[in-house]
Amino acid sequence: MKPKADVKTKAGSQIKVITGNAAAAIGAKLARPDVVAAYPITPQTEIIEQISKFHADGEMDCELITVEGENSAMNAVMAASLAGGRVFTASSSWGLVFMYDAILATAGARAPVVMVNVNRETPGIIAVSSGQQDMISTRDAGWIFLIAEDCQEVLDLVLQAYRLAEDYDIQVPVMVHYDGFYLSYLSEGVNVPLQEDVDRFLSVLNDQPQRTRLLPGGKLGCGTHGILGGYLELRYKHVSALERSKAKFEEIDKEFHQIFGRSYGGQIEEYRMDDADVVLVGSGSMCGTIKAVIDEKREAGVKAGLLKIRMYRPFPSEAMVAALAGKKAIGVVDRSLCFGFKGGPIYTELKSLEIQLGGSKMISFIDGIANTDITKANVEQMIDTTCDLAAGKDVREVTWVSYPEAREPDSEKTGGL
Amino acid sequence: MTEKKKGKLTKVLDYLKHDDPFSKGVSFCPGCSLELLLRFIPQVLGNDIVITGTPSCSAPVLLGQNNQSWHTLSYFGTLMTGAAANATGLVRYYKKAGIKNTVVCFNGDGTAADIGFGNLSGAAERNEPFIYICYDNEGYMNTGIQKSGTTPFGASTTTTPFGSASKGKNLRRMNLGLKMAMSKIPYAATATLSDLDDLAKKLLKAKEAKKRGFAFLHVFAPCPTGWGYATENTIEVCRRAVKTNYFPLWEAVNGKIRMTKTVKKPQPVSTYTELIKKFAHLNEADLKILQDDIDYEYCMLGGLSVLEGECQLPVSSED
Repeated sequence: MKPKADVKTKAGSQIKVITGNAAAAIGAKLARPDVVAAYPITPQTEIIEQISKFHADGEMDCELITVEGENSAMNAVMAASLAGGRVFTASSSWGLVFMYDAILATAGARAPVVMVNVNRETPGIIAVSSGQQDMISTRDAGWIFLIAEDCQEVLDLVLQAYRLAEDYDIQVPVMVHYDGFYLSYLSEGVNVPLQEDVDRFLSVLNDQPQRTRLLPGGKLGCGTHGILGGYLELRYKHVSALERSKAKFEEIDKEFHQIFGRSYGGQIEEYRMDDADVVLVGSGSMCGTIKAVIDEKREAGVKAGLLKIRMYRPFPSEAMVAALAGKKAIGVVDRSLCFGFKGGPIYTELKSLEIQLGGSKMISFIDGIANTDITKANVEQMIDTTCDLAAGKDVREVTWVSYPEAREPDSEKTGGL
Repeated sequence: MTEKKKGKLTKVLDYLKHDDPFSKGVSFCPGCSLELLLRFIPQVLGNDIVITGTPSCSAPVLLGQNNQSWHTLSYFGTLMTGAAANATGLVRYYKKAGIKNTVVCFNGDGTAADIGFGNLSGAAERNEPFIYICYDNEGYMNTGIQKSGTTPFGASTTTTPFGSASKGKNLRRMNLGLKMAMSKIPYAATATLSDLDDLAKKLLKAKEAKKRGFAFLHVFAPCPTGWGYATENTIEVCRRAVKTNYFPLWEAVNGKIRMTKTVKKPQPVSTYTELIKKFAHLNEADLKILQDDIDYEYCMLGGLSVLEGECQLPVSSED
């Protein structure tokens, strides 16, 4: 896990042992937002507590709005963003979906909001536990979604998110996701950058044209009725901006590396992919475990690799095709469900690239739901099954790894639950 | 017209110190009270206000279409669920950036009393420095006349229709103005369009009060289309609402309530309801329930207005 041994700590920057939530709060503080909206929800609460403490101690010069609900948190930061401010908020699960209409409006208004979502299961079944279902519940809102693997990446992605969201050519809100419980409360060493370096990294935005701002007497309207062609124009521009954000994110990753000495590879991270025959596609905190198992499998002569998704929206189709084309078999690990489909959401989306991938076989693994640990044994099972698929054996399309009772979702049974 | 009436009119016009930023013709229903109110506000407060509005009767005119607008104000089309939170975000950023502002959060009763009440209440609790105006047409008029929290007892709407098993809305109305006056905010008031000088004064007081925090105006805004009265009767409906104490005019400065217009001999509510079709099915016993509700609200207002003391407000947000 990071910080990697080869990372040079810049003079003055410190390695601190902190939680993922603390890393997010420090990232937000370093970005110097004008307005922060705070509302508690497990497992995100620690972020807004820390920001409130920074604010109370005079370390953070922002307007802190202690809203009466998440819906207001998103509405407040959207408006502050449209007025010209840099903003931050954070939420999770039930809170995220309580923001839903405002999340859609924020994207539609192209307000460059940056927020953190600490992944947790959504309402439906009360589960105070990790899972990416909240992310999936909001994926079609038109935001850019980034996913962190560890606490260092949480901090770094928050900083990169501002560069992406507020870039004059992008102007799309960005949500940084990381796994609740696994990362939110995990303490590990994090290299906390110097304020002056963060200022320099973000100063690129100051050199860009001023984005449109809603100001008193400015004779500007935000949120008109988009009708017919007007609606189409805005939607087309939004989709185009999302496409542009892919290359922009790669650029930002390179610039980040120049200043901070850390690089993540942009939209995706490839781990031992070059000569891999079988690949697991994953995201978030599971990737550390997957990398460890891959190392062991490599020792045993299995050519396995990992493709880690860092940018989930827009979907990094081109980068994934380039990395995966020609692989014998691909196992996609989803920590969420895609209701209406048997396989997980990322699996279902990757299947749409089947032709471009040139015949790579694919299977779906559903694991890590509601805090079921994605253990090394689970990952081994996934790699073995993917190898079986590569070898032409008959394997099930969808495996609920931690729920062996599940066969294919049952279409035969009738009556009752 | 008598001399006296002319004098009164001139007095109102004196408050209109700024241009009308709206197009000469706009797409409101004939007789709509909202048009008068919307044109009035920037002429009193200035054209440099930032006005926010939600999907509602005001939306077709306030929010524009594509890149076309009916007016030259800065405006923000917000969600009904989060209108006050949107206004909060604006004023907090302006404060941080040192930008002088008057933000007017302009919403119907559906937003203010129903779906957006939570964030209205939250903004009041945080004493956010902007002016919240609720234009109350007693229901969801834009979507086709549905019941809201401020719909009065007995009113027939499309979700509380009069029928053989229904007298219309079988609940009492929410008194939104009093609720807000109890929020310990610098300024809360009621107003309507039959008393424009009273409205103008209250708008200016709200603008002054927002230097100390949250200001709330509850404006009675009847709807000929939804309520069923002749389009030329809009102002008369307002006038009778005041004269019957159906909608009394008062203000609360720092929580201290006082009547801004006292009706010496209040008329029975039937002199108000007789103009309006949504009450046409009510019999005497039904009207008695409505009358009792009005009397109760007025009694409560009277009781509150004799209380001594003011709420102590936090330090001004602009100090």
